[in-house]
Amino acid sequence: MKKIDVQNQPVLPPRRVFQIALTGVKYRLFRATVTVAVIIVAMAFLMNILTESLIKRAVADSVREQIVDLHRVDRWIARLSMPQPHEDLLALLTNGEAEAEAWTELAARGGLAMKELEALQPQARAAQDALHFFAALDYGRRRVLVGPAESIQIFHRLQEAGAWEQFAANLTDMKTLRFPTDMDSFQAFLGDWPALYDALEGVREGQSAALAALRAQLGDTPLMGALGQVDGAFGDQIRAAGFSLSAAEADTLVSEVERLEQTLRIEATINNPGVRQKVAALRDVLPGDVTLSMIWDLLRDRDRAVWFIAAMQENGLETDRLTPEGLEALARQRAHTRLLQVAEQQTMGAGGGLMGIGARMTWLALVSMLVCAVGIANAMLMSVTERFREIATLKCLGALDAFIMSLFLIEACLLGLVGGLGGALAGFVLAGGRMALMFRGLLVQAFPWGDVAVAAGISVMLGMVLAAVSAVYPSLRAARLAPMEAMRIE
Amino acid sequence: MTAVAPHSQNDASPDAPQRVIIRTVGMKKIYHRGEETTYALRGISVEIFTGEFIVVMGPSGSGKSTFFNMIGALDSPSEGRVFIDEVDVAQLTAEELAFLRCRKIGYIFQSYNLIQYMTALENVTTPMAFGGVNPDEARKRGMDLLELVGLKDRWSHRPIEMSGGQQQRVAIARSLANQPSILLCDEPTANLDHQTGDEILAILQKLNKERGVTTICATHDHRMMNICDRLMWIRDGDIDRIARRDEVEVELGHIE
Ligand SMILES: Nc1ncnc2c1ncn2[C@@H]1O[C@H](COP(=O)(O)OP(=O)(O)OP(=O)(O)O)[C@@H](O)[C@H]1O
Ligand SMILES: [Mg+2]
Repeated sequence: MKKIDVQNQPVLPPRRVFQIALTGVKYRLFRATVTVAVIIVAMAFLMNILTESLIKRAVADSVREQIVDLHRVDRWIARLSMPQPHEDLLALLTNGEAEAEAWTELAARGGLAMKELEALQPQARAAQDALHFFAALDYGRRRVLVGPAESIQIFHRLQEAGAWEQFAANLTDMKTLRFPTDMDSFQAFLGDWPALYDALEGVREGQSAALAALRAQLGDTPLMGALGQVDGAFGDQIRAAGFSLSAAEADTLVSEVERLEQTLRIEATINNPGVRQKVAALRDVLPGDVTLSMIWDLLRDRDRAVWFIAAMQENGLETDRLTPEGLEALARQRAHTRLLQVAEQQTMGAGGGLMGIGARMTWLALVSMLVCAVGIANAMLMSVTERFREIATLKCLGALDAFIMSLFLIEACLLGLVGGLGGALAGFVLAGGRMALMFRGLLVQAFPWGDVAVAAGISVMLGMVLAAVSAVYPSLRAARLAPMEAMRIE
Repeated sequence: MTAVAPHSQNDASPDAPQRVIIRTVGMKKIYHRGEETTYALRGISVEIFTGEFIVVMGPSGSGKSTFFNMIGALDSPSEGRVFIDEVDVAQLTAEELAFLRCRKIGYIFQSYNLIQYMTALENVTTPMAFGGVNPDEARKRGMDLLELVGLKDRWSHRPIEMSGGQQQRVAIARSLANQPSILLCDEPTANLDHQTGDEILAILQKLNKERGVTTICATHDHRMMNICDRLMWIRDGDIDRIARRDEVEVELGHIE
């Protein structure tokens, strides 16, 4: 049989294919816009989640230290009121080397040698691991395993007759649970627990004794007032009682207490009818509607602060040590503190998971990606199936399968690119706006530009890839068919 | 095995001895749709010679379009074979098929099948682009073809901006893009007024006579009979009858 004198078809230059694809997109602009809109929505959703989580993480990182400072006075009051809880001591013991001072204090309090402390460290670590495990358990399962016991009581309970066997049996039944150590070493730990507990109790007793002595020296002076002079004799008493307190820490404490005290005085003015009336007149509201934040807003202005101090004096309130500059600074500090508190609340659970956006957010992001994929696949599938007739015609005119594939891939990538960019922008604006409202000033220094750029890149790429991948299958199917068969599918 | 006198094949003059260019052997097309089966073609064996002008006639639904698709290598028969230039179409690779459709065969579809987003000129030049003609040359040739079908001043119009007849003419211009040696026309004059129809017929005839383009036309247009070499009637997916024009003229005495 004779061979036909066919040569292979030339491949169209990419520029020409691109031109044809572009003309096609322009012609079906409305259809393309709908597809792009689907991609925009999908990618905006993803970008929104990513940006919010990244911002929260960055803010959490940047405010962590300031938040620790925020609670300094509270922490000292707690320390000077009662012995530390067992759990805190266990934590100190576990990461002892990192806080050498704390360790020295521990040793002194418990009357233990450093060697002894070191010997206790592995057990303390085992105790902490176990405590984490039980704390993370849901109530029902914990109840089955260890009854109503909580925290270190669990270790005591497991010492009771029969409790261990029951615990071990139940744990084996709960197949999805992973205990941090094997059962033998946990049992060994439980054997050692009474000794560890005694050591901890020793430390606590030492602390109690020291605190009792301290309180005797204080007499009737309230702790808060005493802390206001911690840079003087009281600081020495604290050190003498065996607490580590640096001079710098003492100075900070003093100014912090002073600030707290001034804050309390300002906030007490709201109970003074005279001051209240003046503020109400100024703000043109009823005296009953005057709020604390109204007063703090006033004080942020220097002139108003002067006016406010005068108002306090007029009404017979103590203005000793209150200066307009001081009040202004206090008001600003308070606004910042508020912001920090909001940040602390909002960024709880930030970090971890993919890109550090948190485990929950990772889930959300993955699920949203899935939803995007389905939406985009559907949109692309529709726009390709609509064009089977066109594909068939092009094939009748001598188009190669590769040409048809590249036509659709180019179109899909183009739509994906536009949709991805639009979505990234929309998601960024949305998330950025919301976060800016929430964190305000904190955001300026902490804004994670680099991470957000990466997230935007991911969204754009994902938009393109999803669009391209979902266009491949239907266009490949259409390109492979004989032209008339493709024309028949409608 | 063909009934052809051994003569020079390049000679395309109508009275030169001919060579088979399209041959079908027991060609069937069966559509299955659930329980129901439609026999669109019931085993057609026919030979078409180079340079011939054949008119295919038959009632609606008799299988004319299906027949066209098969001999144009646009669809595969359920049974039987199609040879173009003595090459079994079923044996060709995708690239070879593309080449065949692009250079060897020109199609005029019953439903035009123009690309909606391209202008008239782009529609005409697309097959040239697939054939590797450079853009300037393609543009020039495209304009010439549009002039041939009387649409030169409409070159920038899109299909939706044109009447059915104008689209038909663009389709005709497109079918001629790569100077095919076979022209398959499915009702080329159905949507044209009498005069334009005449012009198109004149073009087809000219191509057939001067360039020896093998032309196969499905039509209900009786004017076609005057310019064809043979007539073929299809009924219910089978060849009813094939006759030379002179035989038919004798039979009918006179065709208007
Ligand atoms: N995809 C299909 N599925 C089932 N049957 C089909 C399909 N395509 C065509 N047919 C049937 O095949 C037969 C031949 O159709 P075809 O289009 O070839 O007719 P035609 O002779 O071109 O008619 P017309 O003159 O109206 O164009 C018809 O009976 C039609 O119903
Ligand atoms: Mg038909």
